Amino acid sequence: MSTTPAAPGDHAGRLGGRSGPSLPDLMAGATFVVLGLAFAIGGSQYDVGTALRMGSGYVPIALGGILTVLGLVIVVASFRGVDPTVANADRGPIPWQRMGLLVGAILFFGFTVGGLGLGPSLLVTTFLAALAGHGTRPGRALVIAIGLTALCLVVFVSLLQLRLPILGDWLGG
Amino acid sequence: MDGILLGLETALQPSNILICLLGVTLGTAVGVLPGIGPTATVALLLPITFEFDPVASLIMLAGIYYGAQYGGSTTAILLNLPGESSAVVTALDGHQMAKQGRAGPALATAALGSFFAGTVATVLVALFAPPLASAALEFGPADYFSIVVLGLLASIALASGSAIKALAMIVLGLLLGTIGQDQFTGVPRFTFGVRELYGGLDFVSLAVGLFGLAEIIRNLEHRINPSLVTRKVQGLWLSKEDFRRIRLPVLRGTTMGSLLGVLPGGGHVLASFTSYSLEKRISKKPQEFGKGAIEGVASPESANNAAAQTSFIPLLTLGLPAHPVMALLVGAFIIQGITPGPNVINDEPELFWGLIASFWIGNLLLVMLNLPLIGLWVRMLSVPYSVLFPAIIAFASIGCYSLGLNAWDVFAVAVAGVLGYFLIRWGCEAAPLLLGFVLGPLLEENLRRAMIISRGDPSVFVTRPISATLLALALIIVVAALLPSVRKKREVVFSGEDD
Amino acid sequence: MNRRTPLATLAVLAVTSLAACGGGDADPAAYPEDEITFVVPFSAGGPTDTVTRLIAEPMAEELGQQIVVQNVEGAGGTVAAGQVAGEDPDGYQVLMHHIGMSTAPALYPDLEYSPLEDFKTIGLVTEVPMTIVARKDFEPETLEEMVSYVKENADTVTLANAGVGAASQLCGLLIEQAVGTDLTEVPYDGTGPALTDLVGGQVDFMCDQTTNTTGQIQSGDIKGYAVTTPEPVEALPDLPTTADAGLPEVEVSVWHGLYVPAETPDEIVEKLTDALAVALADQNVIDQMADLGTTPVAEDQATPDAHTAKLEEQIDLWTPIIEDAGVTGG
Repeated sequence: MSTTPAAPGDHAGRLGGRSGPSLPDLMAGATFVVLGLAFAIGGSQYDVGTALRMGSGYVPIALGGILTVLGLVIVVASFRGVDPTVANADRGPIPWQRMGLLVGAILFFGFTVGGLGLGPSLLVTTFLAALAGHGTRPGRALVIAIGLTALCLVVFVSLLQLRLPILGDWLGG
Repeated sequence: MDGILLGLETALQPSNILICLLGVTLGTAVGVLPGIGPTATVALLLPITFEFDPVASLIMLAGIYYGAQYGGSTTAILLNLPGESSAVVTALDGHQMAKQGRAGPALATAALGSFFAGTVATVLVALFAPPLASAALEFGPADYFSIVVLGLLASIALASGSAIKALAMIVLGLLLGTIGQDQFTGVPRFTFGVRELYGGLDFVSLAVGLFGLAEIIRNLEHRINPSLVTRKVQGLWLSKEDFRRIRLPVLRGTTMGSLLGVLPGGGHVLASFTSYSLEKRISKKPQEFGKGAIEGVASPESANNAAAQTSFIPLLTLGLPAHPVMALLVGAFIIQGITPGPNVINDEPELFWGLIASFWIGNLLLVMLNLPLIGLWVRMLSVPYSVLFPAIIAFASIGCYSLGLNAWDVFAVAVAGVLGYFLIRWGCEAAPLLLGFVLGPLLEENLRRAMIISRGDPSVFVTRPISATLLALALIIVVAALLPSVRKKREVVFSGEDD
Repeated sequence: MNRRTPLATLAVLAVTSLAACGGGDADPAAYPEDEITFVVPFSAGGPTDTVTRLIAEPMAEELGQQIVVQNVEGAGGTVAAGQVAGEDPDGYQVLMHHIGMSTAPALYPDLEYSPLEDFKTIGLVTEVPMTIVARKDFEPETLEEMVSYVKENADTVTLANAGVGAASQLCGLLIEQAVGTDLTEVPYDGTGPALTDLVGGQVDFMCDQTTNTTGQIQSGDIKGYAVTTPEPVEALPDLPTTADAGLPEVEVSVWHGLYVPAETPDEIVEKLTDALAVALADQNVIDQMADLGTTPVAEDQATPDAHTAKLEEQIDLWTPIIEDAGVTGG
């Protein structure tokens, strides 16, 4: 790992100058608190049971509580010092758009592979994913998408004989 | 001894060698596809083996299994995509090595370590299968609970950053493991009415998201990355120094894996990461772990393969499958008209010993097949990243979808990827979460089961000798981790275990 | 990834048969024109999967088309059943399901299909007997002794099962009802782990299919008390039936049957029933089922009428038992 100074917009620094909390630690701790509470509260809808016959809620509530406490400890610690592994990490700004393209690509596949079939669904997915690359223009993305789709069809449908229709019901395949 | 000779005679028949080679090749070929782990590979290829006679089909299946495991390690090292829990650990240092241009030595270490471990473990299986199996049966639910606790605490060492964040990630993993139908009461937990989630989240989806997708998003932070490898590729083979460094870790990994693999119901899961934790703990340079330490590949890969061998012991001697792949093999036995169980050794000596001998031959073929392929795999890394990452997305999406035809397995990749990206950015590493996820159901099940059997008396965890010993070890680990941090509280320690 | 060695590619090609994908026009008279999928609601390698693969081979031969076995796991088999219920009624998607088909309505109140209304039955396939087994050092030696032992020690005896809705749990409910005591149930994630702990002596007894227990009973790793069918099992000659051993209420078998969506033309159903009859008469199928401790059903049972009657009878039997016990699948 390099030790380049934090780039502008890098979240590895402190909030509000030198005296504020370490933002990565604060965010991590807060995430754990939120998720811990979510599981604990969600788990309390289920039967807790007794120590002999633990219900469905027993373990989630206990673990959710532990996670919340751990999250709080991390939040408190974030006011005292920066986790050195984070402070020294070489991070660029969060690539929101590229991340959105990748997530969109995967979700599109999940939603449409049953209806459109493997071929069309994969074509769009790989196109969206390829667009996320630095300097990949739509034309090049299309070439990558066509190539990868063909490759995947050969590997999964011809060679591995997966039971996936190439064209789905929506396209009358 | 007669048995082993009979086995070698069976396994060395040219047709059986060929079958074994076919199995190893197919297993590797399918196992390297991102998003398809060993269990999926064996399930996909299982029907092919039904075509052969019993001995041949089981030899082929064993070959497929080893091939798949090695194929899985290859994807973990090259693309940071672990296909099963043991490969998670391999990915930690293996992928870092690959990025530093040392994919060749990483792959060679995995192959050689696996081969050595496989050889030793095969001998163990041949010599001690029955006593080991009955020893493993002594493990009751309380003991499993304690060994899982021990394993989880040891896995804090998997993270190279803050210990408390690693602990939080483990707990988050345990919580994710509770999603799905509660097998004790049948109540669906955190499924929001989606019946596809009753079976729980899929491990491969989670691993592909947290490791694969999160890593891709992370790589896209920077403008300049024409290919994955950041430094010049430095040779494909191990240097003298590498050999010296992996010698002891391979030995320790083999020992650890052989012992843990025998435990039915989860021992093999613990093998690779407890051995990694051990290496890191006794290493003079723990700070190198997670950044491309070759010991971090050698030890868990050996442990993993040794455990893969010895996990056949409960199956062969008692007919009890230790994990999902073994359950698939039981099905294969039955289809072939063989009832797996204690009678196999006596009723079908040719099959029993032939299978054991073919374990070793399978491992040998695996090394012979894969060492020459290393160059090819390494060259794959020079594919421009702008093509490589959409390919990973495509393969991973199909892989996760194909087995269960379940769109939720695909959605889980996206969610886990985003969550993983941010958590990693905030200094929380993914490996402890995945191990928590794998071990979570084991922890909860065995806790609840132990409490039912003991009629609600928690003292069972300290009155059973095995459980008490394991918990004492866990306590020692915690104390050992806490003591130095109390002492050097004010120092900013760039160390692995504590801060 | 396309730079696989030529050898590997060849090998994949060599061992995977080539088959066309996609459905055809549904002309019942011409059925089957394409490969048929048998959907199994449980994991590959399990007993139901094994039985399915056994009969799929001769049926495929009889029908002149490939049969592909697909495992769709989840929620006690209801995911697979729900999937097939929603398929085109063209006979290319066939569901294999076991006793769980009749317990699903009671276990899953919000089931989105009806076992009786949304399916046509093809015929029963096999009825796998169950066995009452115990750890080898469990005190009672016979079923009768066990019943009185269990009554006396109701608060310490542990009864293992393979999870909610599993055949072993259903059988356990029957035993509890017959004996008249509530026992401490210890659920496991499937039969394998449950048997492991039974062999290891961690739990006292359980009731499971012969497919899972025959080997261990024969080797003496577990103690067998009785089989739960009216007829004894050939592979286990020493075990009496529950009726002979004094517990006639515990009569249960894991029956398997084939289903297609309700709108499937009768002509197609007939063809499948005929192919099933041929498969069940196949000597190889009979032999392999015998190894599993089971037999194909009698010829008159492998018909839609007998199958429907069985399904109706079993739904009526299990619904009150499950509701009384308060068991739910969610």
